Amino acid sequence: MRRIILVTLVAMVALVAVGTAVAAGGHGSSVTRARLERSLPVTFTNLYIEQARILGRDDLTPQSLHAEAMCDKHGPDVADVGPGGDWVCLMGWTDPKMPLPPEGYGKFELNVHSNDCYTVTGPSKIIGFLTITDPHGREVPNPVFEFDGCFDPNGDNANTGVTFPSLLTVTSTSVTPDDQGRVGLQVSCGAGSEGCSGTLTANAGGRDLGAWPYSLQEQSTGTLTMPTSVLDSTNEVSFQLRSATGVGPTSPVSLPVQRS
Amino acid sequence: MTAMQTAPSRMASPDHIARRHPGHLAALRWEIRKLRAQYRARTVLLVAVLAPVAIVVVIHGQSRPPKDTLFGRFAIDNGLALSLLVLGFASQWVLPLLTAVVAGDVFASEDQHGTWKTVLTRSTSRGRLFWAKTITACGFATLVLVLLAVSTIASSWLIVGHQPLIGLSGQTIPAGPAQLLVAQSWATMLPPVLAFTCLAILLSVWSRNPAVGIATPVVLGMVMQLVGALGGVETVRPFLVTTAFESWHGLFTDPQFSGPFLEGLLVSGGWCVASLATAFVLLRRRDITGG
Repeated sequence: MRRIILVTLVAMVALVAVGTAVAAGGHGSSVTRARLERSLPVTFTNLYIEQARILGRDDLTPQSLHAEAMCDKHGPDVADVGPGGDWVCLMGWTDPKMPLPPEGYGKFELNVHSNDCYTVTGPSKIIGFLTITDPHGREVPNPVFEFDGCFDPNGDNANTGVTFPSLLTVTSTSVTPDDQGRVGLQVSCGAGSEGCSGTLTANAGGRDLGAWPYSLQEQSTGTLTMPTSVLDSTNEVSFQLRSATGVGPTSPVSLPVQRS
Repeated sequence: MTAMQTAPSRMASPDHIARRHPGHLAALRWEIRKLRAQYRARTVLLVAVLAPVAIVVVIHGQSRPPKDTLFGRFAIDNGLALSLLVLGFASQWVLPLLTAVVAGDVFASEDQHGTWKTVLTRSTSRGRLFWAKTITACGFATLVLVLLAVSTIASSWLIVGHQPLIGLSGQTIPAGPAQLLVAQSWATMLPPVLAFTCLAILLSVWSRNPAVGIATPVVLGMVMQLVGALGGVETVRPFLVTTAFESWHGLFTDPQFSGPFLEGLLVSGGWCVASLATAFVLLRRRDITGG
């Protein structure tokens, strides 16, 4: 019995050693960006048309919907290959009755498994919540809220060339002047092809706070601090973002000043 | 042994000295007869028939679907999805266990009972006995798989129903074709199940211990499953027996793909040939005079 346990242990250690050596050697994963970008829009299209059918619509076809996706794994510094729960896909499509937000896509979060299947959670703002109400008033599961799909591990792996711009959003809800009276705006740059850059201008009670060029990597946050200080009496600052790459809010953002 | 002992008495002529041993079929018949008398084998068959019914009833009664498994999100009100959920669960460790209960014991039980000397000196050759036992174990594995599949598909069909199924490319598959795909999916389990059977035979021959023969394939199956689920070791993934358990996914996409099934067939065959060859050599070289 002791011999058996010993041999089993040696075999398992050998297996782990081989596995580690192979892992260190190369990255032959069948989970790739291109395969996801081909598979996800097909699965989504079928389910979106199914959702429309449940809602009593029959005006959509896969061709008219023309869904396209751009996928990314774990930020700009990580290779877009391999399984994981950190895949993000931006997907755009055309539905005349349910237009997409101005940036032209929704953000889908994917958990991709090593067996070439994935679980997708959709953006509920665009595609709705867990259940939808059909024309008879019944609550039925929403097919696109959460769904599974699989792709061929030997499928086409050529680049799809689909890109979407990053979305810049303002995360501050108020601004607090530092000891020199300067105010900073917190922003976040979402997943996208080229990150966010442009110029930020601000105005406080008729006083121009100058212009501040910014450049953020995709999937990062930053604080943009205006060079000119605000007056002590100021209680509101209006910011205007002009994007060169990426998309951002087009109208000015007004934030109250909070003093500690 | 009464059936075997009648054989030599008929071979009176010295010309037939080569036929002193009973043929392949006699050895096979004898192995099947031994298996049929085994309480453990009958229990496994009974479990394969009854357990799916219980699982189907329990899952059908859930209020929240088990979403973490493929097709789990439709399982509580779609019988076809439920059959596939049970399939995914069975392939994790149930199928290796069910086949190993017989295959892991088939050689080692002769050690346990000290009967090698009896069966080899009086009735048959090692080669014939090896093939008889191997064919019996593989036949039993196939039977268990068929029973499990039929029981699962029938109970899901009767208890939950057969509704159109949403496939793995989001497409809606009508109930009829989907039912056929479910049956095909169960059929794709056969190569990896037979690979586990061969592995259990090897462990049974090598360890001479039924407990090792039965438990080790299950543990190995779980280790393979774990290695297969890890990111970063994709290069070894295709060579694991458990990868073939997932090749049915390709049946439910649009267009279908069969690459993983063919790879699984080759890999399962490779494991089987390697295991059986090693087991055969071990058995041929073994000194059984000690009993």
